[in-house]
Amino acid sequence: MSDLQNSAPAARPEIRVEGAVKSFSGRVVVDVDELVLGDQPIEGLIGPNGAGKTTLMRMIMHSTPLDRGRISMHPDGPGGEEIVLSDLPTFAMAGRGLVKSNQVIMDFDRLTIWDSLLFAVAGARCERPYRVFAEHDLFDAHEDEIRGYLAYFGFTDPMGFAQSAGEKKLLDIVRCLLLKPRFLMLDEPTAGLPDELTEKVMDKIRELAAAGTAVVIVEHDLNVIWSLCDQVHFMAEGSVILRGTSEEIRAHKTVVEKYLGEGHV
Amino acid sequence: MNLNWLDAFLITGLFSVFMVIGLALLLHLQMGLARIANFGVVGFWGLGMYVYGVLYVQVDWPFDDPWRFLLSALAGVVAAGISGLLVGWLIADLDEDGVLLGTFGFATIVWILATTETALTKGALGLGGLQFPYRLGNAKQNEALWLLILIVVVALIMLYVWRVHRSPYGRLLVAVGGNEPLAQSLGKPAFRTKLGVFTVGAAGMGLLGVMYGVLERFLETSNLGVDLTLAAVVGLVVGGTARLWGPVVGVALTVGLFDIVIQSYIPLPKSWYGQAIPVLREMVFGAVLIGILLFRPLGILGDMRRDKLMRSMHGE
Repeated sequence: MSDLQNSAPAARPEIRVEGAVKSFSGRVVVDVDELVLGDQPIEGLIGPNGAGKTTLMRMIMHSTPLDRGRISMHPDGPGGEEIVLSDLPTFAMAGRGLVKSNQVIMDFDRLTIWDSLLFAVAGARCERPYRVFAEHDLFDAHEDEIRGYLAYFGFTDPMGFAQSAGEKKLLDIVRCLLLKPRFLMLDEPTAGLPDELTEKVMDKIRELAAAGTAVVIVEHDLNVIWSLCDQVHFMAEGSVILRGTSEEIRAHKTVVEKYLGEGHV
Repeated sequence: MNLNWLDAFLITGLFSVFMVIGLALLLHLQMGLARIANFGVVGFWGLGMYVYGVLYVQVDWPFDDPWRFLLSALAGVVAAGISGLLVGWLIADLDEDGVLLGTFGFATIVWILATTETALTKGALGLGGLQFPYRLGNAKQNEALWLLILIVVVALIMLYVWRVHRSPYGRLLVAVGGNEPLAQSLGKPAFRTKLGVFTVGAAGMGLLGVMYGVLERFLETSNLGVDLTLAAVVGLVVGGTARLWGPVVGVALTVGLFDIVIQSYIPLPKSWYGQAIPVLREMVFGAVLIGILLFRPLGILGDMRRDKLMRSMHGE
């Protein structure tokens, strides 16, 4: 941890969403006029169910195509090189440092935990059809790093399959971390995890952000949002309607009315 | 060498068993690992065979064997590979039904072209004039050597598939077959991966088609029916689509048992040997397929065991 924190953070990447619209069956689900993500190390995206948070994240990854609009990333911060994400296929995102974890549990049913993690770290070069002797090089190159994560999160049987929903959720997060993202989007990363593991995930996220990765979290567990995020975006009915610090957002009248309810502390 | 024990019938039977094992192994990469159902095996196999045959016979080559054979065979393999690339490009993003229909449709196109392009293929009359690329003493010795070469080729295919299971490439195929969106989110080009395995598999099927053409030395369009695809699919499904040994076990128990044991050693009525046996074979294969899918859908050997494989490779 200390190594990462001591290294000088590079300029934090930024994602710009401009005029992005998505409708399903004629109903507008996302309509974001202008949004900048990555201003602060860790940002939260909150809002009631159906606000369009997950769809917006999927639009950024281009796994849901936009009806119109443009989404771009500046990997070296504003003013640097621009990558138009909405022109790229989904699989090209990870190679450019943009990685997203999944809201619903996603796993490879026939791959073991080790398989899954080695798969995440394997580069295209060692996955070519003729590289049938590349396994040991891949394993040797990443063994320590993977063992580190496995020990940190305490998987039951890493050579076997992920057993519980919690293990699958963790596996999804570890796969994302192994990709060494410059910009990490986490969609409900702690849903279904016990408190102890939630803390561990949060610590990892803080560590990553301190080393210069921009992190955006969608989360319904608002304690995670309030304790982690430097800035929070509030989304309702497809649009981002507020932006502010945790304190500002949780005290804002609109957020209380539309999402938190009067009794929220 | 004394080859008295090996009659022409046994050579053809063994050749057919090993060839179908080879096809089923290639199909295992596509269907068992990457989960792309290919019901057009005979199309790629037949295209390889006919491109080789037509070039070998119809082109006025300035040189003789082995170059004449090697170039024609290479063209057959390349043509099958390119057709795999094109068909793969069309079907890779379709759902399972679309993939089945698309590949089956391709095999039908190959059969229709081979039947109707009579100037090139001699159509239903059959294309003769093919030869072994070497001359040993008699026909039986030539055929026996060709069977041996086929066994070596199929063993190499099996060795490759065995290595694929133990490589990052195999993991990529299993991952793309299992959860394509997740693989893509981890930066893996799923479409290109599927296209690759389809192309390589089709080229391999084309090679086996070329080898069959050499053994038969006479190409008939009746070979391009669904029988061969059915044999490879049934063999693979019976053995276990996801297992390396699935094609071997499955094909031995279906094609091996029927084409060699039953046809050679069971006293079937002589009158059956014309029309009845091929029909009977398809009926039995169809019934076996239904039975396996109902009672043991993952095949005799069951699903792949990556946990065992990982432990054997990386300890613990």
